[in-house]
Amino acid sequence: MNKIIIFGAISTLYAQFSFSGNTETRLAESSSGYYYNETLINTNLQYGAFTNWIQLEYSDPPELGRSINGVRKMRLEYDNGPVKLKLGDLYEIWGRGLVLNSVDDQSIDRDTGIRGLTLMYNTQSFSTQFIAGKADISQSTINALGFNNRTHNYHVSHNLYGLNVNKLFGNHNLGFSFLQGLEKHPVNTFPTDTLNIKNQLHSASYSYMNSSFDFYTEYIMSRSYEFNEDKWGSHATGKGLYSNLNLYFNLFSLNLEYINYRYAMIDPISRFNIVDYYGYNQPYQNPPVAVHIHENILMNRVSHQTDFNNEVGYKAELIGSFSDNIEFLTILSQSNRTHSWVMDENFMWKKDKELSFLPKFDPAAMPFRDFYTELTFRTMQNNMFLKIGYADMEDIIDLLQNTVTDSSQSLTYSITDAQTIPLNFSYSFSNGWSIESKIELQWLTKGYWWYEEKNNDVLADSLMSIFLDDDGKRIDKEKNSFFSFTVSKSPKWSITLTSDKTSVKESFLENKSIINPLEKFLGIDQERNWVNVEFVYHITSSMRFSLLYGSLKGGLICTNGVCRIIEPFDDGFKIGLSTVF
Amino acid sequence: MKRILYLILVLIALPTSYAEQKREMMLPDLSIKLIDGKQDRLSSLLENGPILVNFWATWCAPCKKEMIFLEEFHKKYSDQGFRVLAISTDSPKSMSKVKSYIRAKKHTFLVGLDPNQEVAKKMNAMVMPTVVLIDKDRKVSWYHQGFIPGDENEIEAQILQLLNADRTKVGDK
Repeated sequence: MNKIIIFGAISTLYAQFSFSGNTETRLAESSSGYYYNETLINTNLQYGAFTNWIQLEYSDPPELGRSINGVRKMRLEYDNGPVKLKLGDLYEIWGRGLVLNSVDDQSIDRDTGIRGLTLMYNTQSFSTQFIAGKADISQSTINALGFNNRTHNYHVSHNLYGLNVNKLFGNHNLGFSFLQGLEKHPVNTFPTDTLNIKNQLHSASYSYMNSSFDFYTEYIMSRSYEFNEDKWGSHATGKGLYSNLNLYFNLFSLNLEYINYRYAMIDPISRFNIVDYYGYNQPYQNPPVAVHIHENILMNRVSHQTDFNNEVGYKAELIGSFSDNIEFLTILSQSNRTHSWVMDENFMWKKDKELSFLPKFDPAAMPFRDFYTELTFRTMQNNMFLKIGYADMEDIIDLLQNTVTDSSQSLTYSITDAQTIPLNFSYSFSNGWSIESKIELQWLTKGYWWYEEKNNDVLADSLMSIFLDDDGKRIDKEKNSFFSFTVSKSPKWSITLTSDKTSVKESFLENKSIINPLEKFLGIDQERNWVNVEFVYHITSSMRFSLLYGSLKGGLICTNGVCRIIEPFDDGFKIGLSTVF
Repeated sequence: MKRILYLILVLIALPTSYAEQKREMMLPDLSIKLIDGKQDRLSSLLENGPILVNFWATWCAPCKKEMIFLEEFHKKYSDQGFRVLAISTDSPKSMSKVKSYIRAKKHTFLVGLDPNQEVAKKMNAMVMPTVVLIDKDRKVSWYHQGFIPGDENEIEAQILQLLNADRTKVGDK
């Protein structure tokens, strides 16, 4: 009898539970010693208004970050009508992320999640959210001991609480946010010390929406305090502005974005030093950037790294179609610091001119500009697809010297300048077979620009390139090419051959690949050519297996203005298996 | 060696057999933010018939290719109560582009926003694009990850299968 009751109770409970999840296993080993082995398991359990998410990780080591064996993240949610309660690991966004945008981006190992609780109340015209918890944030920085590309070497914690309120009035929306964090901030002292910092963020936002345009703007003020001698003393103040205007016309749309972040004016050498400079932009903010996220590989490798403490810029994007089969996209983005920088007589940096609210290309303000345009053609009932683009970007990354007297100027800066042509072609046959090819060509300039002027005579205005030919002679441009060819049979499998080639040596980098047997077999066994072949097989519609053999160039990978260098992968295997259950 | 092979087989076979049973997987009544600023529940989006949820992003090239076909299906089967809901996973850094992209491409399907990928995680959409076909009872009928040209035929076949099953259910009642 008891067994029947237990069986009945379990059956009743089981009938009311809904369980789903997914797994992702990734293994890799290369002859250069790059190795990882990681499995992520996400489970979602639902019972009435309750849902529970648990993420398990088993890694030794993971691709990026430290090994975890067990529960990585978890959250319990209660969602009933207008009320929602979450307990556990929280990833929340307020507005466009000027105050709060906590992310878990495993591609660059960036986790700014908050472990705590949040209570939300949402109706169609009013919403409010209270949040409280702790954000333990790890980062990789050359300004702390033990830097390496794969694991973090610097850790800060923030005890946070805050409130966000939004009210809709017809087509108008008003929002207010407040967030306070008590930060434990380790600094580079001997013996090591940890500072207590209080960071406060206040913001107000307004948006308007109708059928022909929409507008969003948010203004934020930040203030930080440092605990010293038993009291909180004012440390820094800052402000930021983000605006977005979208205009919709019959044949095209225009998207305009403007940023003006003034949390701190840090000298050119130290502007990415997160250890010694604190109380400014916070890692859980993640506001929008004035940078276009390129779809092509080579442009992404020279992405602009946003200075979230001090950046003024805009992005204008025009997208539309000439006809049903021809579409166009044109993007112009530009940014710089709020001030130009100059050295005093002791070669110490000091702020020079304050620049206007619109960016201009003054090298002493470390500017960036990017122009991209593309045309897309579709024909034969969408079976043939052709896209051709052109990108031109210039980025002044570091200002190394700028000494100015009444009659002379000496200016040195590091520059990246690239012109890229991406081409994408695909054709789909009627029996499920298809072919796709991607070709990218890039002409890249990287080096140090030296400008010297005396009594109105220009004595030097030239580039010292970092690229060397095989004889060790400097050459101005590196030619990069990326080529891939895919054959696929829908819906089951695809096979892709990829070649990523560079023409010259970089003076600070041994950018040679180990020649792998695949390259020998194909007869493209040059030292600066990374070739791989990838096979993807859909075992079922919810289960995907991938196998890659060969070499990958590595380099800079950026997501949303935050960048990380990924090591090259030489002559090895990568295996991936993802399932949904 | 035999043990490793056995392990790989088990690793593949177990989720495969389970995955084939996932037709009974029921989704929670998720709250989805639409591009016009309104919030809607999954249950109310399913009132008229099944929906195909597509997770995409403005930086995802295969997603954009797939959306051209999804627009076709949305128009073709709307008289049978079927709709496409394309949920953008763009973060705040690119979400301002979503509406201008949709308007420029003249897509007429429903568009949702999921900037912190909360809905995507609950629907187990881990790669872009992912298609989830959901019946009127909030049960997942079919999953599909990635897009290669030609997949649109399989997507359409699955939509038709679901619409036929729906009609049979109504007939039975």
